[in-house]
Amino acid sequence: MRIILYIGRRILFLIPQVLLISFITFALVRLLPGNPARMSLGPLAPESAIEAYNVKMHYNLPIPEQYWIWLKGIFTDFDLGESWVNGSMVIDDMIQRIPVTLEVMILALILVAIVLVPLAIITAAKTKNKIVVFFQNITFGYGMLAGALPDFLLGLLMIFIFFTNFGIMPGPEGRLGILEFEPPFVTGSILLDSIFDGDWELFWSGAWHLAMPVFTLAFVYGAPIFKMLRSQMEGALQAEYTTYGEAIGLRSRTIFIRAARVASGPTLVITGVVVMFLLGGAVLVETVFNLSGLGQYAVQAIVTADYAPIVAFVSFAAIFTMLVYLAVDLAHFAMDPRIKIGGSDT
Amino acid sequence: MWLRLKVTLRDLPKWQIAVLVMWVGFIFLTIFGPMIAPYSTIEADPTSRLLPPSGDHWFGTDENGIDIFSRVLACPRTDIVIAVAATFLSVFLGSPLGVVVGLYESRKGAISTAGADIFMRLLEVIQSFPVFVFAMVLVAIFSGSLVNIIIAIAFVNMPVFVRLVRSEVLSLVQRPFAEAARAVGNTEMRTGFKHILPNATPTVVVQVSVTVGFAILLTAGLSFVGAGVKPPTPELGAMIASGSKYLIIGQWWPALFPGVTLGLIVFSFGIVGEIVNKVLDPRVVRDGSDRRRVLSVQKTSGKESSVDMPMKVMTTNKSPILEVKNVCVSAGEGDDQGILNDVSFSIGPGESLAIVGESGAGKTILLKSVLKLLPFPLEINSGSVHFESSDLLAMDRNQIRPMRIRQISAILPNAKSQLHPLVNVGDMIVGALQAHEKIKKKQAQKRAVELLTMVGITDPESRLAAYPHELSGGMAQRICLAISLMYQPKILVADEPTAGLDVTIQRQVLDLTKDLAKEFNTARLIITGDLGIAAHYCDRVAVMQAGKIVEANYTDKLFKNPVHPHTKQLLGSVQS
Repeated sequence: MRIILYIGRRILFLIPQVLLISFITFALVRLLPGNPARMSLGPLAPESAIEAYNVKMHYNLPIPEQYWIWLKGIFTDFDLGESWVNGSMVIDDMIQRIPVTLEVMILALILVAIVLVPLAIITAAKTKNKIVVFFQNITFGYGMLAGALPDFLLGLLMIFIFFTNFGIMPGPEGRLGILEFEPPFVTGSILLDSIFDGDWELFWSGAWHLAMPVFTLAFVYGAPIFKMLRSQMEGALQAEYTTYGEAIGLRSRTIFIRAARVASGPTLVITGVVVMFLLGGAVLVETVFNLSGLGQYAVQAIVTADYAPIVAFVSFAAIFTMLVYLAVDLAHFAMDPRIKIGGSDT
Repeated sequence: MWLRLKVTLRDLPKWQIAVLVMWVGFIFLTIFGPMIAPYSTIEADPTSRLLPPSGDHWFGTDENGIDIFSRVLACPRTDIVIAVAATFLSVFLGSPLGVVVGLYESRKGAISTAGADIFMRLLEVIQSFPVFVFAMVLVAIFSGSLVNIIIAIAFVNMPVFVRLVRSEVLSLVQRPFAEAARAVGNTEMRTGFKHILPNATPTVVVQVSVTVGFAILLTAGLSFVGAGVKPPTPELGAMIASGSKYLIIGQWWPALFPGVTLGLIVFSFGIVGEIVNKVLDPRVVRDGSDRRRVLSVQKTSGKESSVDMPMKVMTTNKSPILEVKNVCVSAGEGDDQGILNDVSFSIGPGESLAIVGESGAGKTILLKSVLKLLPFPLEINSGSVHFESSDLLAMDRNQIRPMRIRQISAILPNAKSQLHPLVNVGDMIVGALQAHEKIKKKQAQKRAVELLTMVGITDPESRLAAYPHELSGGMAQRICLAISLMYQPKILVADEPTAGLDVTIQRQVLDLTKDLAKEFNTARLIITGDLGIAAHYCDRVAVMQAGKIVEANYTDKLFKNPVHPHTKQLLGSVQS
């Protein structure tokens, strides 16, 4: 019961925060250089047309009033506004692009979970075992490299090596080859939709195109998760309770699982931060690999001073971030009895 | 701190010294880079476009025919200056805010805490903007001049420092020195800025070293998408962006050289951050040379204690349960002096032996050797440990495991920290039972209740659901006792079994241990710094100093008639 109240309170808090964020963004983007009316109607358009355009887009009203209209639009007919650069509805663009970003992001997290997480756990033990020491050396190198390699640089290097030189991977042409058509829209994920369509050839092409971006993201953004898990696991394996567990003859498996439980709490928290970061940080990787995801959308919108998409993106990111944090807090609470929920949560 | 700096630098691995030198090189380039560039860094030369690396142009030329080597030399001036300036700006804005918020929050009044709360929510709002996009918007709005980029990056990093300083203030404000500063008449703000903030400096400096690296990546990233520093200013991200077109068609040099440079800069700042962390944070333990200090063990000297001690009582007259012979322990290879030196004793059924000594004498190491639980670098070099007829040192972990608590049981100091923080009492006991016999969970729980009753815990059913942090020290100790005696073991090894308990509870727990051990005919090896415990609860006492047993005798004889100077010293410190 308390937990439901807590979730309710957090979500209640979320509403004013999201409103504030969207309003700040709404006001900020109107400071962006460039006059939308002039840019969309061209330099030769008469002054009257400019004025008519501004009235149509409500740009002539004070900002709070514009914001109010925008807000009403969302609740009356899911209208997030219109991009004046290509005249499309922002809500449609978002529906097209969110799955792209989520797909890359989720695949990268899965890669982290199946490769880096086991590696972090294996290499946490202090031992002389040759295989473990070998992996420890490898992961030491990984830790060094991953902290220093910018994601866009890693992406470019991979394209240079595997596309330009060896020609075994597709170049930065987006999610599919230039001559391939997207499968019928169901979820927006190329991989899932091509499976639904039964088109396995397209599925493999999609997977092949996603391989390098996913690897890049996992390599760069998996590092904080890896480092946290490893140091937590190291600490847990040397903690008194682990020695005691051994002293009372618990099975190694039990001891290990219990240590991993301790390590998973802080790891989960840092994963939440990484997930949040991936949403905005994937911008660069999307640019490098030409993926038409949310990040690229936001970048293009900022460069062209396209108001509505920026506001929509930032608001979406804010809601997403806060929900991720809420989920992380709840999971952490479920895992660790020492955490009191609803107390001081700052 | 200077000493720590010296020690840290001396102990630095070679490769880190190399990175440090490289870092100094980048700082040098930040100051002098543009001056020592062999060619102009911004003037285009259409006649020499995209030349591959050669003797004239070491890194080749870019699409405008500008020498890439020269531009790379000039880049740190842009990237590092932006990152460092932005980081310091966010420190100078964020730290005072953090102090104020922390102080307000630590006050009792409802208005001030509410104010601080609202401020923290606002910070949350700023932080839930996607950093990169937020920085892009800021730069785009205020035009991409150098100063504006710095301000934008500083702004997105500021909340980190506010939060950090605030949490430091919250924990420091209750420390005695802060209270003292207020007591002598400093105002709250003055205390905050003059006394508390300086104490938060190490944490802030460590965060600064992390943030600089992040800020360099952010600067380069912004410029890479064209939302940061604009060409022709030499900047790594922008250079990589303009080179990336050619990278894909095989002309690798315009993007690769700035790329590698960027990686090296971030890498060197990361390593320097770690070094700074080592210098400033006393909790970071350097491995290798000083692990002995970590274990806080005295060196055995070898020369001492020529007094011929009555050592015969170290062995039991009965057939021994536990027999330790000439055990030596050292910290792995290359450690010739050793931590335990030639320790021998034995215990018969139902007997009790105390090993006393100052902290650091090697008592705990001795106990861990007997239990085969030595921490990683330590190992037993010679000697033998026998449990009845089986040679413990020859057995591996899996062979010993079934013997634990069934035959050899252990109690370790501070029961609360021995119990796993995420496992409740019931699961802890059930887990121990299930590790040693095939038993259904229901039945195991029933046994757990019986065991808790045995050690005198009232209302045992409801205690099963309690977690260690909800238990008192005495309660936790009783639970550990229940676990260690549940199979009526042949021997119980206890290390400071009453550490951290108050005196009346100590007595209860020790009496209980003694009674149960008598009932089960369990032998006891008790390791303690408290001579009183040894005197009351053990038949024999051995005195340990610097890894050696220097004297041993029956309890009453030892206390009446100590021979070894160290024993006298220990007794003297009790009496005085």
